[in-house]
Amino acid sequence: MARKIVGRRDSVLARKNIRESLVSVAGLIGRPVRDNDGLDIGKLVDVVVRHGEETYPPVSGLIVKVGQRILFVNGARISQLTKDEIRLSSTKINLEVFQRRPGESLLDADVIDHQIVDVDGLRVVRSSDLYLAPFDKEIRVVGVDISFVSFLRRVFPGAIRRRPTPEHVVDWASVASLADGTGVVRTAGSRAALSQLRPADLADLIEDLAGREQGALIELLDPELAADVLEEMEEEELQGLIRGLSAERSAELLARMEPDESAEVLRDLDVEHRESILSVMDPAIAKQLRHLVSFDETHAGGIMTTHILIVRENDTVASALDLLVQNRERDISDGVVVVDGRGKLLDHIQVIELVAAKPSALLSTLIGPPYPTAVRLEAPLDEVIDEFSDNRGSSIIVIDEKNKPVGRILADDLVDALSHLADRRIFTQGTGGLS
Amino acid sequence: MTEVKKGAKKKAPAVKSSLSPKRIRIAALLAVMGPGVIAGLSDDDPAGITTYSVLGAKYGYRMLWVLVISTVALVLFQDLGARIGVVTRQGLIGLVRQKYGARSGVLSASALILANIGTMTAEFAGIAAAGQLFGYSRYITVPIAALTVSFLVLRGSFSRVEKVFFVLSAVFFAYVIAGFLSRPDWGQALRGMVVPSMPFTHDAVFIATATLGTTLAPWGLAFIQSYAVDKRLTKDDLKLLRVDVWTGSLLTGVIGFFVVVTCAATLNKQHISIQDASDAAAALKPLAGTLAKDLFAFGLIGAALLAASILPLSTAYSVSDLTGRPAALDDGPREAPLFYGTFAAITVTSAILILIPGAPLITILVLTQILNAVLLLPLLLYMFGIARDRRLMGDYAATKTMSAIYAVIISLVAVCVGCMLWFTIR
Repeated sequence: MARKIVGRRDSVLARKNIRESLVSVAGLIGRPVRDNDGLDIGKLVDVVVRHGEETYPPVSGLIVKVGQRILFVNGARISQLTKDEIRLSSTKINLEVFQRRPGESLLDADVIDHQIVDVDGLRVVRSSDLYLAPFDKEIRVVGVDISFVSFLRRVFPGAIRRRPTPEHVVDWASVASLADGTGVVRTAGSRAALSQLRPADLADLIEDLAGREQGALIELLDPELAADVLEEMEEEELQGLIRGLSAERSAELLARMEPDESAEVLRDLDVEHRESILSVMDPAIAKQLRHLVSFDETHAGGIMTTHILIVRENDTVASALDLLVQNRERDISDGVVVVDGRGKLLDHIQVIELVAAKPSALLSTLIGPPYPTAVRLEAPLDEVIDEFSDNRGSSIIVIDEKNKPVGRILADDLVDALSHLADRRIFTQGTGGLS
Repeated sequence: MTEVKKGAKKKAPAVKSSLSPKRIRIAALLAVMGPGVIAGLSDDDPAGITTYSVLGAKYGYRMLWVLVISTVALVLFQDLGARIGVVTRQGLIGLVRQKYGARSGVLSASALILANIGTMTAEFAGIAAAGQLFGYSRYITVPIAALTVSFLVLRGSFSRVEKVFFVLSAVFFAYVIAGFLSRPDWGQALRGMVVPSMPFTHDAVFIATATLGTTLAPWGLAFIQSYAVDKRLTKDDLKLLRVDVWTGSLLTGVIGFFVVVTCAATLNKQHISIQDASDAAAALKPLAGTLAKDLFAFGLIGAALLAASILPLSTAYSVSDLTGRPAALDDGPREAPLFYGTFAAITVTSAILILIPGAPLITILVLTQILNAVLLLPLLLYMFGIARDRRLMGDYAATKTMSAIYAVIISLVAVCVGCMLWFTIR
């Protein structure tokens, strides 16, 4: 299988000694665990790794079946680990009953055959096998095999199953494992791998994942990136995802998203869930969101976007342009909204006007017709439509009762709102008012 | 329109939380022709109708209880499949791989492929039988059907012709009317439904197993789960999906009931045993007289094409789920070899099987359903394990009572298959 390996030069798999000492985890399961003198103690059931800040998680222990009992052996006691057997360092071994601990996962039970994100190929796959190798003073997971051939290999008995197929192995750092034995696992490697991706790609990946794994992937991301990813997701997917997250995490992410998009998500949650999220949110943001949620999408306030760039009339053209440049990531900065000393709407000035003006000029000198169209927050949708068709503009400004600008409605916000409404109307007519 | 309704309409935005646009589209889709109803009607495919006909023609009303149990099992396991799909958002085969490992994954995929080659063969057998009623050789009808179905599905124009097949297969509602017209002994029918009795003979055990196998078809279980995953249905859609699944499953049972009753009241009374498809058509005579033959043939073709379109596609989808993400038609053959390989294997193998000279169609139809029942066992056991897994299913995991009921059904299937094997090797 010819696939590109991300950062091949940096990959530990490129090191000859590591490449030669790879041990297949799938092949190792069921092999004998022996003491110092080569006497059988039991059979290997699973390998436990510890997730932490390291890219390649170290083996923290083994789960061994001794007689009829399932016991835990500390990883520090492993003296030799080959594809055929495991040797422990002493003859006297302290065997403990195994308990899952936070931040650990079982390679066979939690990772092999589970969904992982192939960061390189931008897709969700199942891991067919994992590879261990001694590296940086510990035995670590260094490689993962996602090929279907290796999966089929495991169906066969004995020697075929254990034969490593290093040609299919890719660096552990190029995948993101979402296995969580206990809840939250934050693997440094997975996080680093995922943060290279664009939010839109991550959103696609999340939509391909199973419910639990969706949450796990979101947990792996920095909140800022996670919020960007959420904005890229389909509305329905997003709601499903938020339902599965804790109120704290939801609050953290929604607070970082565009307020109108957060409001849309919150509006569709039931009251109890919505309140549980808003109550743990930063009070200022929660207040703003509560206000937005209170408008349903048949009113201007419910369909507007709250991202507008507000400048004072006595600011300079240069400072307005600065503000635009700072906000260039937002796709809505085609101009600035100018207000007077008390924050009341004066004008909307297009980028082209700003560029044409002298940088040192005051914005007040640019104010003049055509003035922007403005509607009140509580204006019904019909009025918004009328304003749009009368003025043929691409956007209108939304103002509150004190004439202060609070948002904008772009043509595409209106299209969204109308298509929502159209769907509902067809339904109510077709079923004789089932709602 | 009344005042009340106007009021309700105005209030619509307030209940938005449960009725977003996507949900409304899903509601509309499920109501008209959801996966449950499609699977239900496809269960009344040639193999299903033939098996039910033989059950009625040979044993009259006394083995109706087998159909009742099969329908209950169908309702419960289709419901479970829908639930697993919605909660885990993974296909059945992929989940089996995740929970039970590589061997189980390959075993369940193989069982599904094998069972579905069998069922697909039965669909082609139905098309061949229907063609023969009109005087066309199977060497013409089967290749044409295979090519047409593959072309439609792979070109993605299936959704347009789906409705045609759907309407065609609805001809089987004629059995409901025929059931009444044939003036059956309702008392005996009721007795047959609730009092389990059967002769302990090779033939009776065979037909009981085939009835289980055709009603609770393996492909339907995988299909319903894949549908939920592919359409990204959420837990909020589950209620609607369950309504659809229950409707479809009960529909299968009701049509099956009337097929059995019609055959019991006509063929069984006159001691006619079914030799080929035209005998089964004869049961429809009280309704349509000489038209019966044509009506029956159209129904067979419709149901066969409906099932033959969905079956290879759904199987390919499930099997490719072994790789982690189910492939679909938007992927090319190069990206999804497993998907297209499965699709081709099922269509080509079954078409060739049916074209072997002298292949006995009715026997093939019943035998494939027995194969279904045998291969059903591992799949049901895996579903049972997944249903009880709290880590996978969370709050939707099966309760103790439900687990017990699932266990009883699985044991019944096992007993049937066991008895049948005993009769075969004896």
